[in-house]
Amino acid sequence: MIARIKSGITFWRVIIAIIFTTGLYATYVRFFMGFKASTNLSDQMPWGLWVGLGTLCGVGLSAAGFGISAAVYLLGMERYRPILRASILISFLGYLTVCAGYLYEIGLPWRFWHPIVMWNHESVLFDVCVCIMTYTTVLTFEFAPAVIEKLPWKVLRETVLYLHHKILIGVVLMGVLLSSMHQSYLGGLYLLVSGKMHPLWYSQYMHAMFYLSAIPAGLALTVMAIYLSMRSLHVRVDFSILSDCGRMIQLLLIVFAFFRFLDLLANQALHYAFQRTAEAGYFWLEMVLFLAVPIFLLSLEQVRSNPEKLYWACAVVVAGFMTNRLNVSINSLQAGLGAHYVPKWTELASSVLVIAAGVLAFRYAVIYLNILPKAKVQSFTRWMSNGGLPAQA
Amino acid sequence: MPGQKAILVDIKRCIGCLGCETACKQLHGFGTDPEPTLSDTAFTVVETRGDKFVRKICMHCQEPACASACPVGAISKSSLGPVLYNADKCIGCRYCMLACPYQVPRYQWTKLAPFVKKCDMCSTRIGKGGTPACVEACPAQASVFGNRDELIAEGWQRIRSDSSYVPRIYGVEELGGGCVLFVSDVPFEKLGFKPAPTGNQPMPTLTASALGDSPKVVIMGGTILSALYWVTQRRREVALAEAEEKAAINRVKGERSQS
Repeated sequence: MIARIKSGITFWRVIIAIIFTTGLYATYVRFFMGFKASTNLSDQMPWGLWVGLGTLCGVGLSAAGFGISAAVYLLGMERYRPILRASILISFLGYLTVCAGYLYEIGLPWRFWHPIVMWNHESVLFDVCVCIMTYTTVLTFEFAPAVIEKLPWKVLRETVLYLHHKILIGVVLMGVLLSSMHQSYLGGLYLLVSGKMHPLWYSQYMHAMFYLSAIPAGLALTVMAIYLSMRSLHVRVDFSILSDCGRMIQLLLIVFAFFRFLDLLANQALHYAFQRTAEAGYFWLEMVLFLAVPIFLLSLEQVRSNPEKLYWACAVVVAGFMTNRLNVSINSLQAGLGAHYVPKWTELASSVLVIAAGVLAFRYAVIYLNILPKAKVQSFTRWMSNGGLPAQA
Repeated sequence: MPGQKAILVDIKRCIGCLGCETACKQLHGFGTDPEPTLSDTAFTVVETRGDKFVRKICMHCQEPACASACPVGAISKSSLGPVLYNADKCIGCRYCMLACPYQVPRYQWTKLAPFVKKCDMCSTRIGKGGTPACVEACPAQASVFGNRDELIAEGWQRIRSDSSYVPRIYGVEELGGGCVLFVSDVPFEKLGFKPAPTGNQPMPTLTASALGDSPKVVIMGGTILSALYWVTQRRREVALAEAEEKAAINRVKGERSQS
């Protein structure tokens, strides 16, 4: 008996247990003791880690869903169909974590529905709220077949799937437009902080920058998730698809780097990067992690053709992306707002709890639903299906 | 706009008695201990800058950044002048605090049901023809209340009659102007007035262009995507038809070679 319990205690289970206990305690502190007890936010720094990590990173890293679904459904790139459901699932869970985070962030969470009925067209945040709500619904719709096809009643199942198929393209189209809109609007939120944000980040094209940077990051997270599912959940996806994603990520990063550089030039902000300030340090960290290292790594054939190396290259992309979003939401603003903000542990613990819940949900969805093709054959590093064409290997 | 009320603050005349601060706190029942900066229990404070005293207070902008930021429209500019906060709508997102160029709105961080707090220019009092409590308490005519147009004239009157004044009324045009005006005998930059990030452009113009583009982008993006979808579908149909044709030809050829 004791031996069984002992063998049940694995490294990751302990980590999950720690995340859930600390996270649930942090949640208790947030909802029953208030902001003062649970955050280091202040009048000078009204937005902190929850916005930076929970919302900006959460939405940005969920960008693959609309990218891949546009590629497959609208552009006819059938090659990516095997990873379509996985990317939609990641986006869906990503948006659910954002919605959960929203309840932590707002001071009066029981009024979460107010933006649905109280409109302010002038407000970028209103548009973000509406887009995220609508797009979460769209993602639910796009993901629904994975659950519906498991229903035991044949007639109901097939009727629903038939109707679903009839309107799918329209919904996908709407989803692509909606997510393009709010990916950029999240950057648009920071247009109003003109004069408070460090010039290395502030730009009148904030929204475009957010849009361009989100897609490679979302793709990178999808590659990471699929690699991990291949390693531990018997998922077998043609690796050449992921390899192509790597190439795509690199291309998108180069495009973003180009516009980021042009933008800095246009704002005459480049010289700030060479000052001895904390902001310049954060800027270079972002440049190295998000642009320099991944663009270099992904240009190497041996990285793109090796699952583990590709995984780590994508991990650097995700880390760099998070650096960028935290720089925008926290580091670039501290001086301008006259604030000194270091997140409280409860802020981090509750964010990590929400993310961990998303990761666990992904794991069990992959195990119990038909998200990715599974096969108990061969080592995943050598698995190649027929050019990725058969959706179910 | 005619009929708008405003407060004119004369930094030269201010003696730093904190009368305005105390009166405001008394009116709202906050106790009377002075506070160093604005807080959720201090809607106006008197800050010391060198040997000068500068009142900090909501500027009641003509086109408020906070009102344009609020997702639920809880903040609005009233026709009488003050920028008003509707606690019944607020969800507590705090975007107004981030958006305000003067960093005025404060939050009740310690409460379980926190709200945003800021000066409302005593809107109920002035609605009945009264005067804001802070102005009423001022013994030195350093804060005066009245019609905005008349106060601007009064400001210029003070500047013209005394050459020590800086020839500028802060708050008439900065960021599109507001209903709190300042005159001073020391340059405003030296008193902690930050340069306006958008000059005399109201802050909401920063987001208006990005938001205004969105319908165009949506229509264009939608059209392009639909067109691409049509092209890929058409291509697929053509490829399918060609393959069928080929198969038919092959079948005929096969039949012939057999016979």
